[in-house]
Amino acid sequence: METFLQQLINGLTLGSLYALIAVGYTVVYGIVQLINFAHGEVFMIGAFGALATYLLLFQGQTALWILPIMIIGAMVAAVGTAVAMERVAYRPLRNAPRLAPLITAIGISVFLQEFIRLFFDKIPGTNFPSAKAKIPFPQIDVVTGKAFSPLAGVQIQRAAVFTIAMMALSALGLWYFINKTKTGRGMQAVSQDPDTARLMGINVDRIIVAAFAVGAALAGIAGVAQGLQITNINFKMGFIAGLKAFTAAVLGGIGNIQGAVIGGLVLGMAEAMITQYTGMLPDPFGQFGGSSWKDVWAFALLIIVLVFRPQGLLGAKVVDRA
Amino acid sequence: MNFVIPTIPDATRAQHASKGWPLALAGSVLLLVSGLLSWSYDPSILGDISIAFWPATFQLFAMILGVIGIVLALMHQGPLSKLGNWFDAALGLRALGTASLLVILFGLFAISYQAGGLININPGGWVALLGAILLLVGGRFVPQRTLHSFAKAKANSTLEIVVIVVLMALVLFGLAYVLGQDDPWVFVGFLIMAGGAAMALARAGFFTWLSHISQRHRHVLTLAAFAVAFLFPFTQDGSDANMSIATQVLIFAATAIGLNIVVGLAGLLDLGYIAFLGSGAYVAAMMSNAASATIGWKPPFVVVMLIGACVAATLGLIIGSPTLRVSGDYLAIVTLAFGEIFRLSMFNLDGNNGPDLTNGPNGIPGIPDLNLFGFDFGKPHEIAGFTLGRFSNYYFVLLLLIGFIILVFTRLNNSRIGRGWVAIREDERAAEAMGVNTFALKLLGFAVGAFLAGLAGTIKAHQDTASSPDQYIFLESAFLLSAVVLGGMGTVAGVLVGATILKLLPEKLRFFSEYRLLLFGLLLVVMMRVRPEGLIASKRRQLEFHEDDEALASEIQQDHLVEKAAEAAR
Amino acid sequence: MPKRSVVSVGATLLAASLALSACGSRGGSDNSSTAGGNSSAKVAKIGVIAPLSGDLAALGLGIKNSVDLAIKQANEANAIPGWKLELAAEDDQATADVGKNAATKLAGDKEVIGVVGTLNSSVALQVQPVLASANIVQVSPANTGVSLTKGEDAANPKRPFPTYFRTCTTDAIQGPFAARYLFNSGIKEVATVHDKKAYGQGLVEAFTAEFKNLGGTIVAAETINPDEDKYDAVVSAIKPKAPEAVYYGGEYPQGGPLSQQMKSQGLDVPLMGGDGLFDGKFIELAGSTSEGDMATSVGAPTDSTAAGKTFLDQYKTAGYSDPSAAYGGYAYDAANAIINALKVSLKDAASVEAARPNTVTDLGKVSFDGVTGKVAFDEFGDTTTKVLTVYKVTGGAWKAEKTDEFK
Repeated sequence: METFLQQLINGLTLGSLYALIAVGYTVVYGIVQLINFAHGEVFMIGAFGALATYLLLFQGQTALWILPIMIIGAMVAAVGTAVAMERVAYRPLRNAPRLAPLITAIGISVFLQEFIRLFFDKIPGTNFPSAKAKIPFPQIDVVTGKAFSPLAGVQIQRAAVFTIAMMALSALGLWYFINKTKTGRGMQAVSQDPDTARLMGINVDRIIVAAFAVGAALAGIAGVAQGLQITNINFKMGFIAGLKAFTAAVLGGIGNIQGAVIGGLVLGMAEAMITQYTGMLPDPFGQFGGSSWKDVWAFALLIIVLVFRPQGLLGAKVVDRA
Repeated sequence: MNFVIPTIPDATRAQHASKGWPLALAGSVLLLVSGLLSWSYDPSILGDISIAFWPATFQLFAMILGVIGIVLALMHQGPLSKLGNWFDAALGLRALGTASLLVILFGLFAISYQAGGLININPGGWVALLGAILLLVGGRFVPQRTLHSFAKAKANSTLEIVVIVVLMALVLFGLAYVLGQDDPWVFVGFLIMAGGAAMALARAGFFTWLSHISQRHRHVLTLAAFAVAFLFPFTQDGSDANMSIATQVLIFAATAIGLNIVVGLAGLLDLGYIAFLGSGAYVAAMMSNAASATIGWKPPFVVVMLIGACVAATLGLIIGSPTLRVSGDYLAIVTLAFGEIFRLSMFNLDGNNGPDLTNGPNGIPGIPDLNLFGFDFGKPHEIAGFTLGRFSNYYFVLLLLIGFIILVFTRLNNSRIGRGWVAIREDERAAEAMGVNTFALKLLGFAVGAFLAGLAGTIKAHQDTASSPDQYIFLESAFLLSAVVLGGMGTVAGVLVGATILKLLPEKLRFFSEYRLLLFGLLLVVMMRVRPEGLIASKRRQLEFHEDDEALASEIQQDHLVEKAAEAAR
Repeated sequence: MPKRSVVSVGATLLAASLALSACGSRGGSDNSSTAGGNSSAKVAKIGVIAPLSGDLAALGLGIKNSVDLAIKQANEANAIPGWKLELAAEDDQATADVGKNAATKLAGDKEVIGVVGTLNSSVALQVQPVLASANIVQVSPANTGVSLTKGEDAANPKRPFPTYFRTCTTDAIQGPFAARYLFNSGIKEVATVHDKKAYGQGLVEAFTAEFKNLGGTIVAAETINPDEDKYDAVVSAIKPKAPEAVYYGGEYPQGGPLSQQMKSQGLDVPLMGGDGLFDGKFIELAGSTSEGDMATSVGAPTDSTAAGKTFLDQYKTAGYSDPSAAYGGYAYDAANAIINALKVSLKDAASVEAARPNTVTDLGKVSFDGVTGKVAFDEFGDTTTKVLTVYKVTGGAWKAEKTDEFK
């Protein structure tokens, strides 16, 4: 029972992280029908943005009030990157054959990874460590201290509580943004019918930028959460995380924001449970379980969902359900 | 190349038309002469360009550009002016001017950078610079002439064959020359020169003519190309360093051509293609005589090749099956996930997690060299006085393989199946409505492509002497896809060019190896904006990316009619 | 028509290749004239294959510089009369494919007599056959993989390549050394984790065998995927078994975070590993909770012996911009081992190529006192010195805990 509870918490934490990133895929897809393959890198840059903020302003400190400022730093870096990539790379290709944006996305993804790897320590006026190896992420007293243990055998890391809480807050904020603000309603309109929306006087270009920005902001938060949880970050962290988050978005029905959140949580749980329980299967099967195979099963799940239920668990590509 | 310098208004050009030609001719002559002068004070750099009347590296480049310039100028006006009715010498000269200036500036920069200052440049360098500037300015004022269409040209078979053969010999010469250069400055200089000269010739319409004659003498062209490829190891003087790179290029190209069937012809994006190469390699590794090979059965290599290819083809069918329901971006993600599953499975199947097949992350090392019919691939062999090392042996086998793959590709492309694929690519629903069995054809595309990659993989395992999961990461799939995209989707020549660029440049320019991936990413983004159809694109494909280009569309139509007429005449 | 075209193709290409061979002459004559201008001594090159760029560049540059130092000293002392030694360093980027290309390049150079390298065992696997086919000796300062000298079959050791030697000890000694240290300090129940790579797995297997032999218990044996960042699953699996220590086979980029995550999830026991953990970066990644974590490393600490101190001083005086790092001393000894062999084999040889086979046999007989201890090789090419040191994280830095010879 303790093991089950422990894995439930692990799954919830992991799922919250996936959900935060998955929103970015889904919002952009809902509006421009583009899989922003480089979104994982936006998440990575968010983490580095937070690190840079910390190193520049608060090096050596561990107080809690630093954390919100780090989150803002992460969001600024992530949103800046996402908006720039939309403007420079995706916008000129909006009417090109579908292959072009996808290949561009791969190019951006490789470029951003390498850019951070090569130049993070060369930003003028700073003294950052080289990103060629893993960099330790700042420790903030309240959120990275000793784990809680509400039950014997169950450990809740403080960073996990932070991740889940940020996820919940972001979901609320997003709901408010989509339904109550002018830009949010504009996004709903564009996703349903871009041409009519344009006729109604909505600036579609601005809405698309807003979609990239919203997704990037949440990815930035996810970057901080990931850094706090595993206490180090590296330039490669975006690839697998991005792929998993995309799986989550597809699982929930890509284009559907609520779906992305639920898809993230389901995928996180599934992964935790697979890790724990497939290893216990009787022998010819048991050896294909455990943590070594969890990614294989996650990707298999992605393929199965895409083939048999491409519309996802919640289905339909509409933003107004969020 | 026109984007470097703004074009001149037609009125100005007409006003000064008569001055352009002498300027361009004088510039070309100066370039030619400069090659005979000393360029640099320091003899130790750039392969010694300090000697007069003994041209090397950049002196040679200047002379080559000069000769092309003189020929083009004389085509416009002078003894060769009959040819000027067919070739657009004016456009050629303009491109050549830009190219020459780039090469010379790069060369002068290289001298002053390496030897420390402009002071080290001898008169030859300045003469060349003057020549390049004259050529650039003059070329811009040479007016264009009205041209005849090549379709109406009378055929002179002997001449045309000689041109093909000479061209191929030049290619061999250039390859051997550039691969022999260890100096990255010279290497880059040569690339700029060759690229610029090719651009000038292309502008002059030389390649259009070439494609016309190669259509008439396809067999000669193919034969000559293979003869060049076959002779290449003999130019290496027993050294294996370049041959090692050449074999890697061939394996990469063979796989990329397989991918080109799936992406270029059928239009199905595959981001996990490296898995097929990997499965072939792993099958060969597991069935080899390596100490850690996990399958006890050791059939002859030909059988292993077939098994490897069939395993890959089966995987191709499995990964292709979702195409029944999934398409576009979703298919790309499915294939990406499949590629990751393959890599992770190879990583895991080591006896700790799952049965011991692949030896896990350590891979299967120590795969022995091939030994076919008593011919040991691991040992150097003497052929006609030339020593051919280990990699040369593999090179010849791979050459046969790639020949086979190109044959399969072109045959399929020109068959009912190939047309079916193109129809699916252009509009799947319309194709289905016209009675094309889209699902079967898509599956076939995946299976054939995977089969070819599997074949290449079996040889790769022996050539590499090891097979491990890190060789088959996502980035390798991205590289393969970019070879196809960079070179040109749907064409063999394009893929060969793309594969060569992606594999050769990083090896030759090791000083920038740190920035290799950064530039690679940038290249993909820029390519998609500037020339999404690739360097050597099939025209039909090109049209897809430039739908409003009426001239291109009519050109394609005309080509089509000419082809039809030629067929009817036969 | 086809027949005629074949003939013309052949003829032209033949002409082209003749022209090619004629053109090659300028480069050749140039080379000889510049080489002749320098001195009358003949040149022999000692190659280096190591990661000179990328994640592990610090270690690789230390190796390269140390070899450079040894070569310079040999030239100054005129160690091999009539011959001048040169360094030919190639980057392997810690990647097997790149390393193989580097080896091919060195093997094609007629002046290369020996190679110091590689850093990674996985790269060595691909470099070995290339160099062996050209009869070029290879001395590694850092490969600890057992199979490199003893073959894949551990029960029947068979040396795969007679040209391969190394100056560092192997996993087969390091693992048991750690097992004895832990057992003797009163720890009887240990969990093991490894990253499934040759290095990590070999280390853990050797550790496990010795630890069980001594009477200890392995309470859990887990693996991680080095591409991953989170090890919750592994920690969750180990924690209920309540081990007194965790032995990790792998390198610091994973070992550091593993230590940190273990402790933040309430598994508060020391982590121990091999020389792959022995780096300052480990402490940085593992954070403040890494106090008490341990690592073994081959040899005595370089600054603890007189010869080692001299080496470090000379290295400093030579003014290299990068530190000699963990393997500098071993690389220096490796280069000197080759130079000592050359004193016999190259002295009267007509050319480098002719001296290669003798160098292989003479290197096997080398015996001298190096900066890391006595340098000599057994019948497999392994070093005969078996000194190791246990280091412990104390006050945020590695401190030597115990140096001993393994018997």
